[in-house]
Order: sequence, then C-alpha cells, then structure tokens
Amino acid sequence: MRGKDVRLDKVAIRFGGTTAVQPTDLAIEAGEFFSILGPSGCGKTTLLRTISGFIEPSDGRVLIGGEDMAGKGPNERPTALIFQNLALFPLMSVAENVAFGLEARGVRKRQRLARAEELLALVALEGYGGKMPSDLSGGQRQRVAIARALAVEPSVLLLDEPLSALDLKLRQHMRAELRAIQKRVGITFIYITHDQGEALTMSDRVAVMSRGRIEQVASADSIYADPATPFVSTFVGEQNVFPGTVVSANANEAVVETPVGKVSGRPKGALAPGAPVLVMVRPERLALDGRRENSFPARLAERHLEGASVNLVFEAKERRILAVVPNGPAARDLPEEMTLSFGRSDAMVYPEGPLANG
Amino acid sequence: MSAASTESRGAQLVLNIYVGLFVLYLFLPLAVMSAAAFNAYDYPSVTQWQGFTLKWFVALAHDQRLLQGLWNSLLVALGVIVVSIPAGLCGALILTRLQAKTGTALYSVLVSPVLTPGIILGISSLIFWRRFGVPGGLFVAVMAQSSFIASYAMLLFLARLQRQDRTQEEAALDLGAGHFMVFRRITLPFLAPTAFTAAVVAFLQSFENYNTTVFAIGGEWTLVTEIASRLRFGLSPVINVVGVIFVALTVAAAVTYVLLNSRKKQA
Amino acid sequence: MGSLARAYGRPLAALIIGITVLWILALIVVPLGAMVEQSLWWKESAGETSLTIDRLYNDIATLQLDRDSATDTEKQAALDAEIVAKQAQATELEASEKNPRKIYGLANFTRMSELHIYIFVRTIFYALLVTLLALVVCYPLAYAVALASGPRKTVVLTVALIVPYAINELLRVYAWLMILDYRGVINGVLGWLGVVDLDNRGWIPFLENPSAVFVAMIYTYVLFMVFPMVNTLETLDRNQIEAARDLGATSWRIHRRVIIPHAKPGIAVGCIMTFMLSAGSYSVPQIMTRGQGGDWFSQLVYRQFYESNNWNMGSAYAVSLLVVCTLFILLMMRLFGVGLRDIAK
Repeated sequence: MRGKDVRLDKVAIRFGGTTAVQPTDLAIEAGEFFSILGPSGCGKTTLLRTISGFIEPSDGRVLIGGEDMAGKGPNERPTALIFQNLALFPLMSVAENVAFGLEARGVRKRQRLARAEELLALVALEGYGGKMPSDLSGGQRQRVAIARALAVEPSVLLLDEPLSALDLKLRQHMRAELRAIQKRVGITFIYITHDQGEALTMSDRVAVMSRGRIEQVASADSIYADPATPFVSTFVGEQNVFPGTVVSANANEAVVETPVGKVSGRPKGALAPGAPVLVMVRPERLALDGRRENSFPARLAERHLEGASVNLVFEAKERRILAVVPNGPAARDLPEEMTLSFGRSDAMVYPEGPLANG
Repeated sequence: MSAASTESRGAQLVLNIYVGLFVLYLFLPLAVMSAAAFNAYDYPSVTQWQGFTLKWFVALAHDQRLLQGLWNSLLVALGVIVVSIPAGLCGALILTRLQAKTGTALYSVLVSPVLTPGIILGISSLIFWRRFGVPGGLFVAVMAQSSFIASYAMLLFLARLQRQDRTQEEAALDLGAGHFMVFRRITLPFLAPTAFTAAVVAFLQSFENYNTTVFAIGGEWTLVTEIASRLRFGLSPVINVVGVIFVALTVAAAVTYVLLNSRKKQA
Repeated sequence: MGSLARAYGRPLAALIIGITVLWILALIVVPLGAMVEQSLWWKESAGETSLTIDRLYNDIATLQLDRDSATDTEKQAALDAEIVAKQAQATELEASEKNPRKIYGLANFTRMSELHIYIFVRTIFYALLVTLLALVVCYPLAYAVALASGPRKTVVLTVALIVPYAINELLRVYAWLMILDYRGVINGVLGWLGVVDLDNRGWIPFLENPSAVFVAMIYTYVLFMVFPMVNTLETLDRNQIEAARDLGATSWRIHRRVIIPHAKPGIAVGCIMTFMLSAGSYSVPQIMTRGQGGDWFSQLVYRQFYESNNWNMGSAYAVSLLVVCTLFILLMMRLFGVGLRDIAK
C-alpha cells in the first residue's frame, strides 16, 4: 500500500445560501497522519465528505495523487472512509464485512476471505471472521472498521471521529493503536476530530478549523506553542486573555494598555498604536512572583489540587486568571494577596478576533 | 407500576368487569356461528339442536363453487402481493428521500386510498379498466385491492426505513460497491423482514376483502364474495363451516405468535 | 430526486420513480378521475330527443300555414328562413337520435330522487352514530388495555381483541344475522321462554328494522376504534397520571386534561376509520337485509352499477359519498389538530 498526497485547490462548499467551507487551499503529504481539528459545525466533516466524494465542491478542485477527482463518486476514488458510527453491516459476518470492498471489485470468494483473514490479523482480530458485528466489543468493532477500509487498499484513509463513541480508557488505547497501524501500512491518514488531545497526540500535522475556514496548519508542537490566531490560541489548550489597546509596537515587541496595567509581549501580526488587541498568556507561564517583565497584583480565590500540578485561580481587576504550577512546597501555604508576573516572550499579542469559547 | 395503582380498587373492578363483558360481546356471536356448523339441522341454528354432525364439513369439501372461490382468492392475493409490495417499497424509498414539503404532498396522495371507502376504490377501478376494454374480473379485483394494500405496504416500509442507518449505504459505496450492489447487498437485506411482513399483511387484506372486490369482480367470484352471495339466498351450515375454519386458523395463528414472542423474550 | 439518484444510482432511481408514478397514475389518480368524469355526463335519452323532433315538426307545420296565409313578401321570406332553420335543426336531431349525445353537467347529482337523498342522509347519520357509539364504548376499553398491569395481561387482552378483529367481516356480520334472524338465537330464547310463538311465525322481525344493520355495524367496526387508541395510549407516560393524581386531580380531570389530550391522534384515526368504513360499508347492510332492503347508500350505488346499469348515476353517487368522507377527514384533522402523517399509525 502506498499513500498519496491530497491537495485542495480553492475548494469552497455551499449548501443553498449558506457557506459550509470558505475557499480553502490545503496540501496533505503522502503518508502523513494529518488531523483536522475544530468545534462541531466548523465544516470539517463537510470537508472530509468532499475528499471522499459524497459532496461535490461548489468551487475549486480536489486532487489525490495529482489526479483531479471532479465527477468521481466515492466508489471511484482511492480513498476509504471510516464513519463516526463505523457503519458496519449488521447482517454480514465480520469476515464478509472486511471482504465487502473486494467483493465489489469482483474478487473470488476464496481469495477475498483469505485476504480478510490477513487484515483481521493486522488489527489483532484473528479468528473473529465468523462472528457478527453485534457480538463484538466497541474496540473490536473499531478495528473491524479499520480492516474493512484497509481491504480496498486505499491510498488515503479518512477517519470521521471514529473514537468518539468509546470510553476514555479505550479511546487512549485506540489512539496509540491507530498511530501504530498508520506507521505499519504507510498510507495517508486524514483524521477529523473536535478533541485536541487526539489531534495533538497522533498527528504529524494538524489543521485547526473554525467557521468554514482553516485558521492554521502546523505541527502539533507549534500549534500549541505558537498559535496563529486568537481562535487557535484559545481552542487548543487554556489561555488567560487580557483585552487592551496598543501603546506602541514594532516587529519584536508590542506594549499594550490592559486592565492589569501596561504589559509587553510578542506581536502576532501588524499592530498600530491605538488598535484593540488581545494579550494571551498560558497558565503554566505565569510566575507566582514579581520577577518577570510584566507583573501585577492579584488575589488568590481558589486552589485545585490536580495531582502533579496545582490549578490556582486568581482575581485581578475583576478578571479570573488561571495559573498552573508544579505541585511542591512552593505551591502550598500561599498568601491571599500576591504579585503575578510573566515574561515578554510568554505573552502573545493578537489583533482582536473571535475566540474559541464564543 | 400498574393501572391498579392509578385507579382506586372500585374503579379498577368496574373497569375489569367492563373489559370482560366486552370480550364476551366479541366472542359470543362467533361462538354461536361456530356451534351451528356442528348441528345436524339443515338451517344454521343453535336453538334447534338436532345432534352433532360433521356432514357440513364433507359438504364443503364437495362444494365446487366455494373451492373455485378459494382458488380465485389465492390467485388475487398473489397478484396483489406482486403489485403492491414493489409499489409500496418504491413509494417509501422516494418518501424517505424527499424534502418535507413535497414529501407531505406525495405522502397524502399515496395514503389516500387507505382513507377512501372500499367501494369507491372498486368502482373507480371498474370504470378505469373498462375504458381499456377490461371488464370486471380477477384482474380488476387485483388492481382495485392493490391501490390501497400498496399504501399499507408503503407505511410498513416507511417505518422500517426511518430506522435505517443511512451511513451503511454510504460505507458500501465508499468501499467501491456500485449502486446496484449497494441496493442488493445492503438496502434489500435490511428491508427483507419488512417485505415478508408486508406480503403477509397484503395476503390477509386481499383474502378478506369484500367491499372493494364486490364491485371490481364482475361475473367472477372469490371465496368472500361467494359467501356473501350465499348469505343473500338460502342459508346453509356450510358457511358456518367456513367460519369455523377461519376462527380456528386465526386462533392458531394468534397462539403461535404469542408463543414465538414469549420464547424470543426468554432467549 | 437528486438524493435518490445519489443513493441508488440513476437507473435504479428511475425505476423506483417509474413504479411509483405508475402506482399513482394507474391505481389511484386516473381511476378516481375516470369515476369523477363518468359522474359528470349522461347520454341524452332517445325519448326526449324524439319529443323535441316532434315539436319541431309541429312548429314547421304551423309556420307553413302562416306562410301560406301571409300576403306581403317580406313576411313570407322571414317565415321561409325560419322554416329552413327549424328543418335543419330537426335533421340534426334525427341523426343524434340514433347515436345519443354525451352531455356534460351536474344533472347526475341534482337528479337524485328524494328517497335516495333521504337514504344518503340517513346513511351519514347512522355512520356518525356508529362512530360516536364506538368512541364511547372503546375509550374505557383502550384505556384498560393500554395501561394494563403486567405483560401477561397485555398479551391476553391484545389476543382477545385481535382474534375477532382478524376474522372476516362477513362472518362477523353473519354471526349477528344468526342471532337476529326470525328463528335466530334471540327469538329462540324468547320462544323457549314463551314470550313469542315461533310455530305460528309470531317471532319479532328484528331484521326488518334498519337498526339491525346498525347493531351489526357497531359489532363489525368497533375494533377499528380500539387499536389506534391503544397505540397512542400505550405511549403515555404513566408517571404523568401519577403526578396529576398526586397534585390532587380527580379521575375525571385526569382523563380530561392528561389522557384524552394525549390520545387525540388515536381518537382522530379511530373516528376516521370507523366513519369511513361504516358510511361506505356494503357488506353489513347487504347481509343483514339479505339483499331485500335498500337501507344503505352503498346498496343504491351497487344497484346503479349492476342492476340499473347506469354507471353515470352510480359514479355520481360514489363521488357524493367520497366527498362526504373527505370532508369528515378534514373536519377531524382540524378538530383534533392532527396532520396526515399522524394518521397513518
């Protein structure tokens, strides 16, 4: 099996008057584990169904392995889709399910059942071929769906939140397993999810989507450390958000007037004095002393022990501020009135824009 | 929780007696009719009892017109199944894919025969087919009955299709199956149990039908129209024998159904 | 239509649409249209035409006399023209006398005799009465079945209702024929008690009274009221009743405010089915009157088709019945605030 690259060329999708996906360019490399992360209704499933051929784009082209997919139905594309509810065929045995794609290609019964057995072995389900899907557990059904999709030797495997129905433990286990299977078969995986944990742990690269638009495409690390927009910044991980106006700015530093005083940070985008901006600081970047560049007084309101870390909720100028510190002597017996600070490189200054939580 | 807890004891007692009387009201006339089948008296009666006999059963076995009627009924029922199951299936398939507004209009047209008096369906079919030179008979009876039995079949298919997981068809398509294969391997197997139920319902509806058939049947006859015309002229206990057989078959079917159901629940 | 093609492909979608269209056209719409069309015309009767022709020839003769006695040429010419016109009209009518004309109009409806109108109205009245009585009888029954305690009791009750329901309606009517017959069960019992004298034909002629049809009809169609009501009542959450009782509502108020509103769709369906079946019933009156009485409208319709051989008049009668049934359905839907989709279980 060989992966193929997937390229979206100004793809836009409209249903009646509403635009589900804004004109989008996207290049997914062959053999990559690529995730599309976004809240429900952001258009990610629409995008996936467009790649798989259930939806024709209103504008633009979908290219798989360099070939234009226009006019090709889902049964003519080198893709296989794993549905959110898996969509196993309940009236067929597990082996028949896995062999279905081969049956559609006219492979003889003996051969296709033999191949189904191999694929079941690949997903660690040897000997389950004779069972019915209803006899299997959630995780086993998951693997049958994967085997069924792999049976048609797709170049691109599309996964539509397939883990969302599983419980937490199994979900974590299946993440690792999916990643391992992808490494083994080497084809392109495009994974849709609203769960940032899934996207960050499994993927080579992640696209974050909001309101029909891709906000950022980057590796999991840079998505977290260097989010491109206020939306990505607040959708992936926690942020403390300080609204303010620019006092002065150059390419490396922006000084902003905020409710907690004047602060400086890294500018994300062109900023002019007087422009409304959002300053974001990750909770783990807040220090419980006044030693960094930007400091302000705060009152400790709540303390939640998480185990390895402690969540501290402060109040400053009627704003709630979250700090996460490692558990230890320094996190105990804190006074009520404190001074918090963060470094210039820990703060990112964005032009005002929509946030993830409305 | 039970009805007993929602009603006072006295009210519950009254309700139970009422239900008992009603069931008695339903069954007594049938018992009278059945009993007369075994009376040796020439006229169907239970009050003039002249001794137990099975001779009316023998008479039925030699009654050529009734036997021919039975055969005709079976032919018509078969025809109705052949016409109404595909029609009902196709109607249901379209309705499940239509937008609400057009869907309601089409739905109204397709269920209207169920709400139309049977004689009207018989009459309109009779008139319609005569314009093609087809006189009343078994064929017109099949068409007249199918017009409303297809609606019943459609309602059964619709109920089933509402529980269908549409992604299965999509998954099959995505795995490379052609539309025809999707229909044959996914859609039809899913609908098969309903098709069987619909066929049984269609058979029973057709076999029992009188009001529509009597207008459409012309000079031919089915078992039921023959019974009706017998009732107009000399009454004979042979009809009671037919009644006994009907009652026995129905009770047997009901008991089997209940037993099968309770076994399924235990399993 | 697009989604159908996407789901099943063009050829299959075309087949599915084709079969449905065929069903609608050949089994539903066009036959109904044919019946309505048939009700809207009649063949001009030969008797009327020849009468008109005779009258025309009389007129011509009179005009001829006038013409012969007329003196001024102007008047003669006018009369000549009139004679020629009348002659042409007569010739035309003579031709159509051999091949009567189809005339469109509402006469088939307006020419209904007073007796037939009376029977029509009575049929509708009885059908309404059957519906109302069935509703009253069935409500407590449906309530008891739907809220019966224990699955066992539910099964027993359901079977007790389904068995008589499944038995052919003719046989159910026949059972009542045996009960109400001259030498039937009731007269037999009365004779045994000495109330009537069967040997001298002193029986009570139940069958000669129109209410015999009524009694049998209730028996035959009562169960069409029960099942829709049971179906909707079964979906009622019993906690609602408990809650209402807990809040101090009387039984009457619980029925009026909780149970009946919930059962509305079932009641509407039950009423529609019962009314439609009884208003259009041919089997019950036919058997109960043994083909002698003409008490029920459906029997008039049958006679127009199979005895008078007047299909136009028969169609008009059938259309009238259809109109009343449709109005009743619309009325019930409005009254109970249910849509057509609620109606089909």
